[in-house]
Amino acid sequence: MARRGNPSSTINANMTPMIDVTFLLIVFFVVVSQIVDRDAVSMDLPAPEHAVASIAELEKRVVVNIVPKEGGLVAGIVVGGHEIAWEALDELTAIVSTRLQGGAKEVHLRADRATKYRYIHQVIEAIREVGTTPRLQLVIDGEKP
Amino acid sequence: MIIKRRKAGSMGLNLTSMIDVVFLLLIYFMVATEFKTAEESFPMDLPARDAGQTIMLDNEPLVIVVESAGDGQRDVRIQIEGPWDSVATVEELTQFLRSNKIDEFHVTGLFTDAHPVLIQPTENARWEHTLATYNAVARAKYTNITLDAPVTKLDVLQ
Repeated sequence: MARRGNPSSTINANMTPMIDVTFLLIVFFVVVSQIVDRDAVSMDLPAPEHAVASIAELEKRVVVNIVPKEGGLVAGIVVGGHEIAWEALDELTAIVSTRLQGGAKEVHLRADRATKYRYIHQVIEAIREVGTTPRLQLVIDGEKP
Repeated sequence: MIIKRRKAGSMGLNLTSMIDVVFLLLIYFMVATEFKTAEESFPMDLPARDAGQTIMLDNEPLVIVVESAGDGQRDVRIQIEGPWDSVATVEELTQFLRSNKIDEFHVTGLFTDAHPVLIQPTENARWEHTLATYNAVARAKYTNITLDAPVTKLDVLQ
């Protein structure tokens, strides 16, 4: 008489909760990565101690990034995704003026903590050239030291 | 003769490849995501430049010269123009401005909170030192703060 042995038992892990969690994580990261501000260039912003600054308004603004270079120098300027050479500050005035006419209310100035003031002053003067009276926001790192 | 019965087939989906792809996506988004840090800002009114226009100030502005003495956050030198005591740190500057402000605690103060304060960084002053000074003035609750054109070191600070 032929005998049939027990078929080797297979242990199946229940994958359903893991897939649920994984999908939740994916949805989270997809949504968060959309929020990342493309106007802001990565740099080391100043972080004064006991800062009394207020949270920067994200609506209706023009962000002017002074891209830093080694030694407190400046590599160029990025305004709303437009890269501008340091020698062409006239373009900055034109772009900021266009954006202000398009409904922007404030100009946010982002500069690295090591950038020398003489460069920043030139940018402020270029922004002043737009002729209106824009409100300038000097952006700092919000994380308290 | 032994007749083997076929087991009733289970309709299970093979999820292995899907899980592989899902994990790849997860790793991609985890690596690619850059969390934006919260940013704060100091508001500064920027008067328009009109050729030939002269603005008469009601009060002589308080001029504060800022110079960087090093790369550290506290390596800043501050000088207040005029017959004032020297200040060594931004905290001392805040203290000086608070003690000389007219408010309910200092009726005999010299400056109102709307007194113009002009910050004059030197050409090579680091931006963090300029903003630390700006913050020191703002902490003393002065509202009329302006960043002026840079000065050379030899003009003011010896």
